[in-house]
Amino acid sequence: MKKPIIEFKDFGFQYKSQREATLHNINLTVYEGEKVLILGPSGSGKSTLANCINGLNPFSYEGKITGSLKIAGMETKDASIFAISKNVGTVLQDSDAQFVGLSVGEDIAFALENESVPRQKMIPKVLKASKIVEMEKYLLHVPYELSGGQKQKVSLAGVIHDEVRLLIFDEPLAALDPKTGMYAVDLIDRIHRESNKTVLIIEHRLEDVLYRHVDRIVLMNEGNIVFDDVPDKLLVSGLLSRYGIREPLYITALRYAGCELTEDTGIADVYHMNLEPYREKLLEKEKMKVERYEQEPGEEILRVSEVSFAYGREEVLKNVSFTIRKGEKVSVVGKNGAGKSTMAKLLSGIHRPAKGNIYIKGEDYRNYSIKEIGERIGYVMQNPNQMIVKDIIREEVELALILRGKSREEMDDKVKKTLQMCGLYGMRNWPVSAVSYGQKKRITIASMLVLEPEIIILDEPTAGQDYYHYTEIMNFLDDLNRKYGITILFITHDMHLAIEYTDRAIVFSEGELVADSPVYKVLSDDKVIEKANLKQTSLYELAHRIGSDPENYIEQFIAYERMIKENGRSTAD
Amino acid sequence: MAGQLLINLIPGETTLHKLTGTTKVRFFIVLLVFIIMSFDIRLLLPLCILGIVGLLSMKPNWKVIKYFFIITGVMNLINIFLFWLVDPDCGAIWCGGGSTVLYQFSGRFIITAESIWYLSVRFLKMMTSLVISMVFILSITPSEIAAGLYSIKVPYKICTIFSMAFRYIPDIARDFDNIKISMQVRGVELDSKKASFMTRIKQYVLILVPLIISSFDRVGNIANAMDLRGYGKGKTRTYYSEREEQKADKAAKILYCGLFLFCIYWIITKNIMPQPSKMWYPFS
Amino acid sequence: MKKESTLKTILGVWNTKTVIAMAIGAALFGVLMNFGGITIFTNTKLTTAMIIPVIVGSMFGPVPALVTCTVGNTIADLIGGWGFWFDWSIGNGVLGFIVGLLPLYGAKINDGIFKLRHAVIYVIACVIGNAFAFGVVTPILTTVFYGGELNVTFVQSLTGGIANVLVLTVIGIPILFALAKRNARNTNLTLDK
Repeated sequence: MKKPIIEFKDFGFQYKSQREATLHNINLTVYEGEKVLILGPSGSGKSTLANCINGLNPFSYEGKITGSLKIAGMETKDASIFAISKNVGTVLQDSDAQFVGLSVGEDIAFALENESVPRQKMIPKVLKASKIVEMEKYLLHVPYELSGGQKQKVSLAGVIHDEVRLLIFDEPLAALDPKTGMYAVDLIDRIHRESNKTVLIIEHRLEDVLYRHVDRIVLMNEGNIVFDDVPDKLLVSGLLSRYGIREPLYITALRYAGCELTEDTGIADVYHMNLEPYREKLLEKEKMKVERYEQEPGEEILRVSEVSFAYGREEVLKNVSFTIRKGEKVSVVGKNGAGKSTMAKLLSGIHRPAKGNIYIKGEDYRNYSIKEIGERIGYVMQNPNQMIVKDIIREEVELALILRGKSREEMDDKVKKTLQMCGLYGMRNWPVSAVSYGQKKRITIASMLVLEPEIIILDEPTAGQDYYHYTEIMNFLDDLNRKYGITILFITHDMHLAIEYTDRAIVFSEGELVADSPVYKVLSDDKVIEKANLKQTSLYELAHRIGSDPENYIEQFIAYERMIKENGRSTAD
Repeated sequence: MAGQLLINLIPGETTLHKLTGTTKVRFFIVLLVFIIMSFDIRLLLPLCILGIVGLLSMKPNWKVIKYFFIITGVMNLINIFLFWLVDPDCGAIWCGGGSTVLYQFSGRFIITAESIWYLSVRFLKMMTSLVISMVFILSITPSEIAAGLYSIKVPYKICTIFSMAFRYIPDIARDFDNIKISMQVRGVELDSKKASFMTRIKQYVLILVPLIISSFDRVGNIANAMDLRGYGKGKTRTYYSEREEQKADKAAKILYCGLFLFCIYWIITKNIMPQPSKMWYPFS
Repeated sequence: MKKESTLKTILGVWNTKTVIAMAIGAALFGVLMNFGGITIFTNTKLTTAMIIPVIVGSMFGPVPALVTCTVGNTIADLIGGWGFWFDWSIGNGVLGFIVGLLPLYGAKINDGIFKLRHAVIYVIACVIGNAFAFGVVTPILTTVFYGGELNVTFVQSLTGGIANVLVLTVIGIPILFALAKRNARNTNLTLDK
C-alpha cells in the first residue's frame, strides 16, 4: 500500500506583495519513495510550489494559503518551518549561498548545531552524511577550494539527516557544467535508490534530468498543473513546446525526421529506447541534402599568440593561440578552472600575458590601457547587477562616453544608435529597476556596445535562465551579430548554446587549448569531450545507435535547425 | 583572495592553535583588560616577551607579519613624537611631578628623563597590544571566535554575524575586484596620477553602488538556506568547530581566572584609589 | 503604541535576514576598510567603509547599523592585523548608530524614499555624529585605555572624523539617492518614441 507523503488538496497560494494568486487549485499527491520531476518555465509557480512544501512560504515570504497541504500527514498551515524541516530537506539552486559554514564539516553540521546536538554526537553524523555524497576527504576544506558540483554535494549532505523523508532539489543543474550536471543527476538517483527517500526535482532542463529514470513528471504553467504522468507520455504529447520547455535534442531530431512518436517505445530513455519504428525515417532524413552553413571569413581582428599566464606559481594558461575574424560567433568552453575566464580577463586587459602577446587588428595590445582596450573589446559580466550603476537606462548606456568626456551631440547620437540596436530606445527613460533580467542583460551589453568595440565577450549570458528567456537573450545576440556584424565571444558551458548559436568552439582544458574547430566536430570528438568535462549530446547517442557517423549527423542537424530558424519548417524541407 | 587574509579558516597544529575557542577568546579578553589597565613596565614587559614567545611557537609566516610590525611601530613612533612636540615635559605629570632635563634644544623643547620613560612605556604598551592581538588572530578561526563569544553569553545571533561575515569576505572581495575592473574598462580612472582627488571620490560611487546592491542581493537566499536548516529554532546552539576541553585548556583556565582576579585587584588598588604618581617610575 | 514602534525602528527586527544583512554589511566593511581606500597621496588612504553602516541603518535601523559597524571594525582589525583599538571601534560604533538613524526621520531606502529633506538631516547627523564620536567618545576612551595626551588624541581623532564626514557626504549622499531610486516602485511606464 503506497503511503502519501505530500498531499495538495485544492491548494492555492498568494504572496502578500502580489495582487493575484501564484498557485491555483493544486491537487497533487506524491507517494513515499517516488521520484518526481516538477517541470515548468520560470514564473510557472514551480518554485513557489516547492517553497510551500518546505515551509519557506509563508515563513519567509508572507502570503495567503487556501485549501490544504499535508506533509507526512501534518497540515502545513499549522506547522512551523522547523517542524517541516525535520521531514523535508531542501537543496537550493544557489549552492554558494547555501554554503553557510566556513568549512565542509561545519556546513554539514549546521542543522545539528541549530538543534544543539553535542559535538561528540555530531562528528559521526557529519562523517556519515559526507560519505553518502563522497566528500569525506574534504571535511577540512574551505568553500573557496571547492567547485560548484562539490558545494552542491555538501549542501545535500547538510540536509540528508536520518529523519528526513523527502528531498527537494531546486534547479540543481543551473550552475553546473554538463558533465558535473550528469554526475549530480546520477548522485540524486543513487541516493533515491539506496535511501528510499522521496525525491522532488524542480528543473526546466528536461533532457539532463532524464539522464536517469524519473517516475513521474508534473508540468506546471501559470500556477496550474497541466500535466501529471509518466515521462514517456509527456514526450509524445507535444505539450513541451506549447509551454516553453526545451525538448530533448534526440526528440527534436526524431520529429525533424517526421517520425510518429509513440509512448510504448520507452522514449524517455535515449540509451535503451526501442528505435526500430523510427530507424528508417531517421536514416532517410540523414541522406537529405541540407545546405551546409559556410561562413565567409572576415578580416582578422584579434590574434592571441602563444599566450601563457600564471597566478603566482600556478600556471593557468599554457601557450594558447587562436584568432577571431570579424563577424564570427565563437563559444569558449571548458570546465570551471580550465582557464576560460582567465582568457577573458587577458583579452579585456585586466591581466596581461606573462608570455606571448595579443594583437587587436594587428596592433600590439600592450600599448593600450584597460580603458583603451575597453573601446575595442567589451567584456560583459555574468551578473548584470554587478555592472549597472545608474538608475535610468539612458544614463547607464551613456556612462562610458561621459567618463571619456565626449561632447553632448556625439553622445546623444551614439546612445540613440546603440539603444535602437538593442531594442531599448522606447524604454530609454525607464528606471533600471523596472525591467526584467533579460532586459538588464541588454542594458549591460548596450553599455559596452556604445563604445563601438570590435568584439564583445559575454560571460555565461544565459546562466540561470529558463528556455524562454534563454531564447530571448540569444536571439537578441544573434540579431546583433547578423544585422550589425558584431563579433561575439561566448564563455559558456551550455552545449545547447554552442550548437545553436555559434559556429566555432574553442575548448580549454587544464589551461591548454585542446580544440578550435566547428561545433559539430568538437561534439563528436570523444577525447575533447572527455578532457573538457563536456557531455555527449543525445544526438551523438542517437547517431551511434542508428549506425550513423556522429560528426556528420550532428552537422546535418545543426544545419537543418539553422534553416528552420531562418525560414520556417516548410521551406527547410 | 582567502590567502590574503591574516586569520586562518582552518585550525593549525600547534599547542596554541589547539586550544578551544572559549579559552582563546576569554584569555584574550583578560589580556586586553590587563594591557589597558596597566601603565607599568613591570607588567607590560613580561607580557610582551611572553607574547613574542607565543607568536614564535606558532611558526607564523614572518614575511607577512613583519610588515605589520614595521608599519604599526612607525605609526606609534610618530604618535609619541607628536606627544612630545605638544608637551615636551609630558612625563612630569605621569612620574610624580619631577622633570630631569637631559638636553635642551631651545626654549620649551627639552628632553627629560621622565618624558622618555613615559613615552617608552606608552610605546611598549601599544606594541604589546599588537603582539597579543597578533597571537590571537593567528591562533583562532572565525568559527572559534563565534563559539568563544557564545561561551561568554554573547547572543548567538551576534556570534553568527562574526562567522558569516568571514564566510562572505572572500566572495565580496572578489566581486569588489571584478566590479572595479569592469568600471575601469568603462572609463573610471582610479590612478591618482591621472585624475584629481575629488574626481576619484565621485567616481568611487560608481563602484560602490553595484557592490552594495549585488552584495545585499544574496541576503535572501542565505537566510532561506539557514531557515530551512533550522537556524533560530532554539535558544541555544552548539558548535561543531568547538573542540572538547583538553588539559591545556584547563591549565589556561586557571591562568586566566587568576589573572582576571589580579586585574580586578590592580584596578581597584592602583587605578581607582589615588596614587602618588600615575605610573611606576623607578628613578624618582 | 507610537512609542513602541519607535523603539522597534531603533532596535530593528532581528530575524535571520537581518542577521545575514548585518554579516554581509560587516564583511563589506572589512573589505572596504582593507582594500577600498582612495589614495590621497602615496600611503595615506581615505576609507570608504563608513558608508556601509549608513546603508544597513537605512534598511534595518540604527542598532543593526551599530552592530555592523562594531563587528565590521573588529573584523577589519582581524583581517588587517593592526591589532585591536577599542577606543576607535567603540567610536565607530557610536557613529554607526547616529548615521544609521535614517528610518527615524522617514528616509526608507528599501521603499525608495530619500528626499532632499532627508539628505539635509543626514548631513547634520553626520557632522554631529562625528563630532560626538571622534570629538568626545574616542579621545576620552583613548586617554582612559592607553593614557594619551588629550590634545594630540583629540586632533588625531578629529582628523579621522573630518575625513569621515567628507566620505559620508560626498560619496554617501549620491549612493543613498541612487539606492533609493533603484528601489522605488514604478508605475505608469510607457514607451517613448
